[in-house]
Amino acid sequence: MDAANPMTAAPPLAQRSRVRPSRRTADRVLRTACLLATLLGAVVLGSILLMLIVEGLRGLSPALFTHPTPGPGSEGGGIANAILGSLVLTTIGIVVATPIGVMAGTFLAEYGRTSKLADVIRFLNDILLSAPSILIGLFVYTLMVRPMGTYSGWAGGVALAIIATPVIVRTTEDMLRLVPGTLREAGAALGAPASIVIRSVTWRAASAGIVTGVILALARIAGETAPLLFTALNNNSWFNANLMGGIANLPVMIYQFALSPYPNWQQLAWAGALLITVTILALSVIARVVIKPQRAR
Amino acid sequence: MSNAPVIANGQTVSGSAADASAPVRIAVKDLNFYYGSFHGLKNVNLNFHDRQVTALIGPSGCGKSTLLRTFNRIYSLYPEQRAEGQILLDGVNILDSKVDLNDLRSRVGMVFQKPTPFPMSIYDNVAFGLRLYEKLPKSELDDRVESALRKGALWDEVKDKLKQSGMGLSGGQQQRLCIARTVAQRPEVILFDEPTSALDPISTGRIEELIEQLRSEFTIAIVTHNMQQAARISQFTAFMYLGELIEFGPTNRIFMNPEKRQTQDYITGRFG
Amino acid sequence: MTALTDQIALTASQPATRRGPSKGGDAVFRAAAYGSALLVLFVLAGILGSIIYGGWPAFREFGFGFLTSSAWNIGTEQYGALVAVTGTLASALLALLIGVPISLGIAVYLTQLCPGWARKPVGMTIELLASVPSIIYGMWGLFIFAPLFARFVQVPVSNLVEGMPVVGTLLYARVPSGVGVLTAGIILAIMIVPFVASIARDMLDQIPTVLRESAYGIGCTTWEVVRHVLVPQASVSIIGAIMLGLGRALGETMAVTFVIGNANRLSASVFDPGSTIASRIANEFNEADGMQLNALMALGCILFVITFIVLIIARLLTRRVKAA
Repeated sequence: MDAANPMTAAPPLAQRSRVRPSRRTADRVLRTACLLATLLGAVVLGSILLMLIVEGLRGLSPALFTHPTPGPGSEGGGIANAILGSLVLTTIGIVVATPIGVMAGTFLAEYGRTSKLADVIRFLNDILLSAPSILIGLFVYTLMVRPMGTYSGWAGGVALAIIATPVIVRTTEDMLRLVPGTLREAGAALGAPASIVIRSVTWRAASAGIVTGVILALARIAGETAPLLFTALNNNSWFNANLMGGIANLPVMIYQFALSPYPNWQQLAWAGALLITVTILALSVIARVVIKPQRAR
Repeated sequence: MSNAPVIANGQTVSGSAADASAPVRIAVKDLNFYYGSFHGLKNVNLNFHDRQVTALIGPSGCGKSTLLRTFNRIYSLYPEQRAEGQILLDGVNILDSKVDLNDLRSRVGMVFQKPTPFPMSIYDNVAFGLRLYEKLPKSELDDRVESALRKGALWDEVKDKLKQSGMGLSGGQQQRLCIARTVAQRPEVILFDEPTSALDPISTGRIEELIEQLRSEFTIAIVTHNMQQAARISQFTAFMYLGELIEFGPTNRIFMNPEKRQTQDYITGRFG
Repeated sequence: MTALTDQIALTASQPATRRGPSKGGDAVFRAAAYGSALLVLFVLAGILGSIIYGGWPAFREFGFGFLTSSAWNIGTEQYGALVAVTGTLASALLALLIGVPISLGIAVYLTQLCPGWARKPVGMTIELLASVPSIIYGMWGLFIFAPLFARFVQVPVSNLVEGMPVVGTLLYARVPSGVGVLTAGIILAIMIVPFVASIARDMLDQIPTVLRESAYGIGCTTWEVVRHVLVPQASVSIIGAIMLGLGRALGETMAVTFVIGNANRLSASVFDPGSTIASRIANEFNEADGMQLNALMALGCILFVITFIVLIIARLLTRRVKAA
């Protein structure tokens, strides 16, 4: 950076520098402020991780993974049911969202290049991408919980799917657009119908990017709490195969236990928080590593 | 078959003689082409003869690629492009809206300017078109892939790594893979769209040899910006300028004795 | 099409095994893609429809007064949106006030000042901040930040400004517990920083190097290049990025629920507890029924309208420039 700005790097050649002191001060202030802003970001991330490690490691024990969440006032317990429940909910979410998201992204990139409808859908998808997740919770509550009369794992999974879909749509479309048009022409020139060109050529060429989108979506929904409050809620019992009732899950467990008066509950909340954050950060890092060859191409 | 090299207008013409008595495979009649409102081809009429190489030459933007892209209707991928007139492939108008495009394209193969290997193994690349149109037992599929790779002059280089990705080959090998992939389908016509412009001279030489060999089986149309190449490998040459066909005839005559002033100017390098 | 097949079969011997790929598959695939895309449309319509349906009774009962009333009384069934709407807007605006300068600083640092080797890890750190779940920010805010904030900011500032006009009310904490509207604003600021910073960074990166170099070439300092060349060039997209951050701050739920104090009180002091639309829905929805449920849904409608206006503006400003 100094090389780019010789005026401040080198001592003035003439007796009087042509850079007025006020200009130089403004420049120094800017540089310092930008550095401080960046340091602040790093400090916050560091302090969050430190908090989770200090508080969470204390609660890590084998019982965490073998015992269900304890009832109010009872000792010990684990978060095995919440872990399992979270796995089930995110699995439902991603299994529902992936085919829909990939197909919708494919429509936008392959079929909808010149259509007005695709423009509208692309725009609304971008809006949905940043929509408050709590509103999605209210929607699924009205759509599923109220008619069925009970909180349910299915409702939670659907809410997470609605959050994951726009992420997958957007990355799928962006990645498919990076595939050179000549590859599509080459497929068509062999007499392959559009659907076969897409499935065996274009998707393949964009596969790393599409997988990245799915991983990012997974990272996004794994920690979502607000939409689960009114859909899956929580449950202190062991996980049961029946998804037609409230189901334990990490985010809502963390929310309820962290704000509870019981020390063992709070401890479990910290352990859960550590677990979920490490998982999500790992997913985000993996997604960025996977996407690298795609960008280089 | 091969003539002695003839020097005319500074060009070397060494290709084999044109056989004008060969049956007509593609007949273009009053063809007009539009990109949106831009008139890309104007009243083009010409014939492509069976098992002959026809070169389309002309300065960039003259419509030679546009013309080539009408023969397999690849332009139909883009809604704003349209063609009017007739292109008869063995007597059937392929511009008819009832023509099955996929079937047409399996009969009229195309090799592009830049190599376009699919992101899959070498074997799967070649088998791609085969699997679309023919249900073959494994052993027969293997044979067809091998014979296609031999015709593409690539077999000896890849026979030990058929399972490796086609993207890992060199540029020249990738282009020969694309030729093998096209040949595997046993099309009747093969279209080459400046197939060597992205390659080094050695790879270019191999592709040219290959095209010369393929002529015994296929009717070939090739777009090239390289006049020496047209002279070397084609039997017929069409010179195009500003969307119009200026002159068409046996390559020897076009290069040695062009009738039109513009053709003369172009092949002697006065413009283009 | 059959004519073509017949004709061509005369001249070329085709193997008997020859057959075309099925036409049905192509149509089904296209329909599936089309249907999936339409689903996005239906979900958005469904979200709007469901909260209008749920909130309608409250709007009918309280009319326009719902927006202007600060009541939230479960006993007398009197509900108004004023406190929650004010809290939502106040915390989000505070978040922008604090977060935008930090975001721009980070974006400028990453694109202009950072040495090459550090660019990736520093960029990655900022991006990772974006993937930390909201509930973790809530816990960090409540258990780490709030006590420090109470001790080192709220108490000294309250003592300092007590009795002064204007600032005495604006910056006085009746109960210096660390939670409140300003704390929520700060946590929200931290949460929107990575989004705004990474979009702003991409925008600054897109500015042609020539432009930068020619500004440096006439002897501009970094500050002058940023101020007079880069920021004007990217301003529209940066405003879009800020609006996108605002959209997030308005609808953010869990982190705010932890640190805003969840009080239904209209207070002039930013240190006092309050509530936002999202935090109130999160807190009360599960126990609510009857008119309270309708009132919460109506709050959701208001949040929908506010955030969607902001997001539409944001997306129009940051509209992707697609290469043809």
